[in-house]
Amino acid sequence: MQTSTSTSTSMGPEKVLLLDYTMPSQVVMFGNLAVSVEDAIPDLPDIAFSANLCLEELITNTIQYGLGNAPDHAIRIYISRSPDCLEIVVRDDAPPFDPFNSVPTPDIDAGVDERDIGGLGVHLVRTLMDEAWATYDGTGNLITLKKTLKQ
Amino acid sequence: MSFEFHLDTNDGVQHLTLVGRLDSATFITLEKTINGLFSSAGDRVLIDFSALSYISSAGLRLILVAAKRARQVGGRLILCGLSPTVRDVFEISGFLKIMETADSKADAERALQA
Repeated sequence: MQTSTSTSTSMGPEKVLLLDYTMPSQVVMFGNLAVSVEDAIPDLPDIAFSANLCLEELITNTIQYGLGNAPDHAIRIYISRSPDCLEIVVRDDAPPFDPFNSVPTPDIDAGVDERDIGGLGVHLVRTLMDEAWATYDGTGNLITLKKTLKQ
Repeated sequence: MSFEFHLDTNDGVQHLTLVGRLDSATFITLEKTINGLFSSAGDRVLIDFSALSYISSAGLRLILVAAKRARQVGGRLILCGLSPTVRDVFEISGFLKIMETADSKADAERALQA
């Protein structure tokens, strides 16, 4: 589902909500989400790629660890934009989980033999986004990602 | 079609061509093929990314498996045709330091014949 609305007073005069998307907690749905994200920021294809990658990594964690692979939960994704910043918010109804403080950092300097894949998703998010944090609001987790837009 | 792949052998080199989106839903179709690579000592494999529009950690995991298998049998793996955004993901992941890449398929083929 996708809606495009104009300025909301709670977000400040210059911030526009571009996407309000609900996906079921199933990894097969990432392709559909990706198209909606690309359509929301058609002039920023590289950032859409990064955003889609970050969303997949974080939401996969939520589905596997937060929801125990239950396929019937709703995950909500909001994208809003101001002249100098893109903000992505992901909301779930899983138990408290902060991926930015519970997943080990991968050793990206390790050789092929020693290299492992654990923690790579969160590492990608931290590198591709300028700000990333998670909070729990009593009924679910809210992950906020911010990407600075160059003028 | 969101993801598909083709595996051919040319001049003793296996060519694996990836097409579309390799994500946490589609990677599973590629897993068996990756695990079947480098079954013999000295095997040479080229993975062509030029038709791949997107990769996430699920796909990166499979590429790492291929690289590990290559080392185990003394084979060679070259990745070619990575788009700038895909290449960026490989760089951030630290994979460019431990995997061989080439710009074009022709460059990769030449490197594997050397």
